[in-house]
Amino acid sequence: MTNTVQDIHMSNVTQKKNWQAFLSKLGITKFNDQELDAIEQTIGIYDDEQLVATGSIAGNIIKYVGVCAIGETSKGARFNQLMTALENRMALLERFHQFVYTKPLYVQSFEHVGFKLLADSSAGVLLEKGSPDVQNFLNAIPKALQGVQTIGSVVVNANPFTIGHQYLIEKAANENDLVYVFVVNQDVSLFRTAERFDLVKQGVKNFKNVIVVAGGDYIISYLTFPSYFITNTQQVINYQTTIDARIFKNIIAPALAIQRRYVGSEPLSHTTNLYNQTLVRELEPEIKLIIVPRIAQDNQTEIVSARKVRQAIAENDFEAWSEIVPETTKKFINQHLAELQMRIRKGQKINGN
Amino acid sequence: MEIKKTAIAGTLESSDVQIMLTQGTDGIVFDLVSDVAKQFDDAIKQTINQVLSEYGIQNVIVKVVDKGALDMVIKARTVAVVQRALDTVGEPKWEVL
Repeated sequence: MTNTVQDIHMSNVTQKKNWQAFLSKLGITKFNDQELDAIEQTIGIYDDEQLVATGSIAGNIIKYVGVCAIGETSKGARFNQLMTALENRMALLERFHQFVYTKPLYVQSFEHVGFKLLADSSAGVLLEKGSPDVQNFLNAIPKALQGVQTIGSVVVNANPFTIGHQYLIEKAANENDLVYVFVVNQDVSLFRTAERFDLVKQGVKNFKNVIVVAGGDYIISYLTFPSYFITNTQQVINYQTTIDARIFKNIIAPALAIQRRYVGSEPLSHTTNLYNQTLVRELEPEIKLIIVPRIAQDNQTEIVSARKVRQAIAENDFEAWSEIVPETTKKFINQHLAELQMRIRKGQKINGN
Repeated sequence: MEIKKTAIAGTLESSDVQIMLTQGTDGIVFDLVSDVAKQFDDAIKQTINQVLSEYGIQNVIVKVVDKGALDMVIKARTVAVVQRALDTVGEPKWEVL
C-alpha cells in the first residue's frame, strides 16, 4: 500500500468530477463558483489509484478537507499526512499562518495537529494555526494608558469614508475616553484597502482620542468566510456573523478593554441589518451595542451612505458625492476620479458593502 | 543569533514532530501540542533548547506539534528548522550534528 500526494487540477474536468464525487460522499456538496474560484491549489492523497483524502489552499485558508478512513493503516494517518502536505506547500509560498473553517465535530482532529479554536457556533467553527496569530495581531495594537475609563469601538469598511462615518466616530469619541476604529481589511471594494484606511485616518485626525487600526484577519472577514459545508443559506449568514461577533467579544474586546461598540442603524442593506441583529444577540450584555440612527441629508429623506458616493462617482455626479463626504475624501476623489471610474468600468461592483 | 525568517520542519505523521520557529523578543517561548505532553513535555523542550543554545538562539517563538517523536528525531527536526530559520541551509554547523 502506497499513499502518494498529487495535485488535482480543477481545469481537468475528469479530475474535478472525481474530486467532487469524493467530497459529496463525505457530505460536502456545495461547489459554487465563489468558493471554487478562490482555490489556488488542490491536492489529493491516492492509495494506488483511489482518491482517499483531499484538501485545498485559498490564500491562508485551508478548505474542502475530506478524508476517507476506509483502509487506513492507523486512525488519523491520512489526515495528518494531508495536513503536512498542505502546510508544507503553504510554507513554500511563505505562508506560515493557516485558517480552517469546519464543522464542530472536526475541532478535535484539527487541534491534534496544532490548530487553536478562535470561535465556535453550532453550525461551524473557525480555527487557526501558525504565526502571526491573533495574539500577534493584538500585541501590535496600542493599548489604553492608565486612567482611561471608557473605551468604545467602531468597525467601518468606509468605501469611502463619508460624513456618516465621521458622525458615528465623533459621537463615540465624545462619549468615551478612547475609541478604536477598525477598518475592514478585505480588499474587495471600489476603494482599495490602503485608500480606505488613509481616508479614515485623515477623516478622524481632529479627534485626539481615536486610534485607527487595520482590522486584519479578525474583524469582519465574514464576507469571505467559506461556508460550503453548510447547506442552508439562512444558516450561513447566521454562522458567519456569529463567528465574527464571538471573535470580537471573546478575543478582541477583552484584550483592548473595549466596553462599547457603535454601529449605524441599517435600513438599507439586508446583510448588514442581519449583522446588527447578531451583534445585539451576541455582544450584550458584556459589551454594550449602541445603534446610532444614520444621518440624513437636508431633505431628511435620504440617509447618507457610502454606496451613494460610489453611485455618484459612476454617474460622474460631482454635486451628489460632494454633499456627503468630508473635505479629505472629496480631495481624494477629485484627484483619482478617472481611475475610480475606470475600476467601475472594468467590472468593480459598487452595490455591495 | 537572530531568527531571520519564519521556518517549518518535520511532519504531522506518527512518530514525527513538526516544529516552527518565528522571531521572538521575549526569550525562548514554547507552544507545544502533544498527546504525550503530560509525560514528555519537559523532555521535548529540553532537547529543542539544547539545539537552540548550540546555535546561540536566545529569542524565538517555538511552535511544536509532537506526534510521539523519539529524541533523535526531535533533534534532527530542530537542526533542520534552525538552519532554515537562520537562512543557512547550505552551511551545516557540523559541531552541532
